[in-house]
Amino acid sequence: MGALGNGTRGLAGGTDLVPLLRDGLVAADRLVDLRRVIPSGIDGTAIGAGTTLAELEADPQIPDALREACRLAASPQLRNMGTIGGNLLQATRCWYWRLNYPCRLHGGDVCHAREGQHREHAIFANDYCASAHPSDVAAALLALDATVETTRAAGPLAGLYRLPDDHDRNLVDLGADELITRIHYERPEQSVYLKAMDRKRWAFALVGVAAARYDDGVRLGLAGVAPIPWRLASLDDLEQATPLPGTAYKLELARALGRRAIAAVGG
Amino acid sequence: MLHAAVVRSPHAHARVRALDLSRAREAPGVRAVLAPGDCDALDETAEFEGRAVVAVAAETFGQARAAAELVEVEWEELEPLLDPEEAVRRGSLVGEPRRYERGGYERGLAEADAVVEAEYRTQTLNHNPLETHQCVCEWRGDGLDVYISTQYIWGVRDDVAAAFGLPPDKVRVICEYMGGGFGAKNGAGGYVTLAAELARRSGRPVRLALTRREENVGGGNRNATIQRVTAAAKADGTLTALGGEFICSLGWGGWLASTAGPMQLLHACENVRTVEYGAKLNLPAMAAFRAPGFVEGTWALECLLDKLAAELGLDPLELRRRNYANVDTMDGRPYSAKELLECYRRAEPHWERRHEVRARSDATWKRGVGLASQIWYGGGGPPSYAWVRVGSDGRANVVTAMQDIGTGTRTAMAQIAAEELGIRLERVQVQVGDSSRGPFASISGGSSTLPSMGPAVRAAAADAARQILEIAEQRFEREDGTLSLRGGEIVSPDGTTWPLEEITGLLEDGQILGKGARGPNPAGMRVLTFGVQVAEVAVDVETGEVVVERIYAVHDVGRVINPLGARSQIEGGIIQAMGHTFSEARLDDPHRGTVLTKTLDAYKLPTIADVPEIVCELIDKPDAQLTNLGSKGLGEPPIIPTAAAIANAIRDATGADVTSLPITREEILAALREARERERVGAPSA
Amino acid sequence: MKIELTVNGEQREADVWEGESLLFALREKLGLPGSKNACEQGECGSCSVLLDGTLVCACLVLAAQADGHDVVTVEGLGATGEPHPVQEAFVEAGAVQCGFCTPGLVVATVDLLAHSPQPSEDEIREALSGNLCRCTGYAKIFDAVRLAAQ
Repeated sequence: MGALGNGTRGLAGGTDLVPLLRDGLVAADRLVDLRRVIPSGIDGTAIGAGTTLAELEADPQIPDALREACRLAASPQLRNMGTIGGNLLQATRCWYWRLNYPCRLHGGDVCHAREGQHREHAIFANDYCASAHPSDVAAALLALDATVETTRAAGPLAGLYRLPDDHDRNLVDLGADELITRIHYERPEQSVYLKAMDRKRWAFALVGVAAARYDDGVRLGLAGVAPIPWRLASLDDLEQATPLPGTAYKLELARALGRRAIAAVGG
Repeated sequence: MLHAAVVRSPHAHARVRALDLSRAREAPGVRAVLAPGDCDALDETAEFEGRAVVAVAAETFGQARAAAELVEVEWEELEPLLDPEEAVRRGSLVGEPRRYERGGYERGLAEADAVVEAEYRTQTLNHNPLETHQCVCEWRGDGLDVYISTQYIWGVRDDVAAAFGLPPDKVRVICEYMGGGFGAKNGAGGYVTLAAELARRSGRPVRLALTRREENVGGGNRNATIQRVTAAAKADGTLTALGGEFICSLGWGGWLASTAGPMQLLHACENVRTVEYGAKLNLPAMAAFRAPGFVEGTWALECLLDKLAAELGLDPLELRRRNYANVDTMDGRPYSAKELLECYRRAEPHWERRHEVRARSDATWKRGVGLASQIWYGGGGPPSYAWVRVGSDGRANVVTAMQDIGTGTRTAMAQIAAEELGIRLERVQVQVGDSSRGPFASISGGSSTLPSMGPAVRAAAADAARQILEIAEQRFEREDGTLSLRGGEIVSPDGTTWPLEEITGLLEDGQILGKGARGPNPAGMRVLTFGVQVAEVAVDVETGEVVVERIYAVHDVGRVINPLGARSQIEGGIIQAMGHTFSEARLDDPHRGTVLTKTLDAYKLPTIADVPEIVCELIDKPDAQLTNLGSKGLGEPPIIPTAAAIANAIRDATGADVTSLPITREEILAALREARERERVGAPSA
Repeated sequence: MKIELTVNGEQREADVWEGESLLFALREKLGLPGSKNACEQGECGSCSVLLDGTLVCACLVLAAQADGHDVVTVEGLGATGEPHPVQEAFVEAGAVQCGFCTPGLVVATVDLLAHSPQPSEDEIREALSGNLCRCTGYAKIFDAVRLAAQ
């Protein structure tokens, strides 16, 4: 759920970090169990970073977009274990990255997916690295205008993420000893999360679209379309997409789900 | 017990330039290390990813894994051949191309009023039994015990004995229970040889279990296909020609399953021409996977037939009836039994639902119904043997060295023996799974367990019953052949009954021993299984989501022994087929030939959330010609027609022609776009 | 390290490498092979156990994290000759083929019925979607859950 510096990693639900450690994709000399350290629970529009997806899914005061994003994420076992903070920091499902190909995110000089198998990959910002961000929860929280509070600072969720470049291959802008503690969202008038996946349950999003309606309009957050969770000002912005040959269908999916999501929140 | 780990080629095609085992040999806990030259299962040349190079046995799996990581291999990478059409052009084939022709194909085309052609593709699929391939090998004196997850303990015995130059019965193979196979566990495989050799060198039992990643690379697969097929018919629907070219991406080995089989066997047609190529590629070899060839071939054939029906303006069910085969299509032999017409009759009301199903469509969700029929082997055959022993307590023990792969074999064999002996099911015990504690029995593959083993068990039980009745007839002074066994009693035609134990009780420590063997299949007859499935789907035409709402399945497999287990086989086959249809695909890097979908997040098996309403029916009419049991196998038939029935339903709902499996969002969105385009330019929707 | 935990109501101790999984500790150190290892990374549900009453994948819990906690495995639900009602329902409904996924499904079903004694079909679909079965086609598993709910 976060790095603590000195080769130490914080461990919360472990649903992503444990397999990454085993596969040597993340290195740690020491693990610190964060479950009794990180706040958990829901207080108004503040969510402790240690709150599990299962708890969020079940709480009626949580906006529909976030509840649905949790409900449609992973499997019941994983939602019982996985925390919202950890979910925001989960690694890409790009098979090349997961199988430790020397790709750009691993410090190499090529994106294997662009020339290879990439049907689950990005349609935005995919020039350098075509991986797609898998977090349904992050998409919902982008639409809900969330801010993230860490042990150091607080800021908009979008600021937690960055696109990789030659100088820095990280997708997350978090200090080595910084931990997410709380997430705050803006309560919308209405919100929804729609997700297209390869099976009915327990699959990562091909495309996930969250929409939330506020006084000043509808906010949109997308999963599965860019290396980081992706915010759209409007559906017109989909015209800016740069799909790969194997991801063109995702644009069609994003349009259809986007139209539906906006209609569903009365936008 | 030691645990083993294997160093494998990460490349699809490469040669070992240098190998340094020194650090691995010195690693903590290591007890044996094997390199190329030590064992046939290891090689310095890798023609596919996952080729084993070095094997290590250590005190714990963690130590074995750690030592394997210390093996230093310098690889020389070679260009892999990955394109099946290129392989066919270059003549890189497993075996010879298989050509078949009957009648005059060109003449059939010339006589036709309508000809349809299409290219269908299927993907590479992994079996993914929940238990990966695994074994424990232990030497005892000059013999070897192999505890293994297998579908064929005798095949493992022979493979391992051959690898070590042992008399076969020096190898004892034990498989009490196992976690699924689906064709992937029909033989021993190199991993067993490695475990046995590590055990021999270390003098300790060795466990070797494939990891899920190893399973998804080297555990076997259903090969991908490209099928270019043609169907021609008269205006009344009579087929005049069927033809196809089938390119099967077998990988570096395996065998050419009959993808053309359904085209040759399912429908009556005088003029058929097929050619099948087994492309030899730098990819892991295929293995039998639940109705190999027929699953892929039926997908293409039955989609093509619906395309033909549309072209002719005929009802798809009627088209199939008009081309019903009354004798074997290949050599004119009579069928031992065939109830496909009855399957069509029973499917009719489910097919008729299409009007009501279509009417429930709206602007977004289009609904439709499709059907497909199925043909497959499944008659089993000799040899297979069973013993039945009855003790003084009147309880029976069925002994045979077969395996229960999860299909309920123990239950079915107990039912058969109980029926023959006229005793309650609870009084029969079945002992399987040990090659040194029972006679030879069939492989659990090819839907052959029940039709091969069942008759042997029945014969053995009948032999035991005959001996019991002979004693009873002497004891009670009745004429030979007048008594029978029923309801746990010995029954005389005059109504007199004696408890069975009155006779068996005389035995004290003695036992009645019955022996039975599977006899030959009927000479001059074709033994096949048949079925029809009808799928109802809803398609979201904006997002390409497909919901299979209902599947009706009717199958003719002769007599049904265990109805609950039989329905479970049908449901399981249908759901596995739905995985093949929608979500499962092994994806390989197109340049490197390495497998990318090694874990179960990337290789997506269906979950309980994907399950439609399934309605099953079994004709349940014994095949009297076949055996004393009249049963055929049901493991494979249900997986065969599902994909085509679903694709035909999608076409019925939307006009979209899906031609590639799996039917992903991209596949169906593209097919919907093409259908809209055809409609726009006013071309016929066929 | 040495961990102390309650397993199926009994106080147990195990000497483990802290990075190994609870699943490994259960199977290899505590003699409880009921929980199965099929996917190794939380994707199949075959190793489902209750950790402090919550349904989790034991393969994703580090053994060290289970120190001082309460674990219920499939072995803790029923005894030989005295199966748990959910186990009886699986047998009765024929919800088993090869049986490899069954322990995980039984534990997940016990958890489902504890939260929702009369689950709807949709609830069953949701609750058991993390437990893969490659043999049965799940239809009989629906039957078993309904039967156990009675």
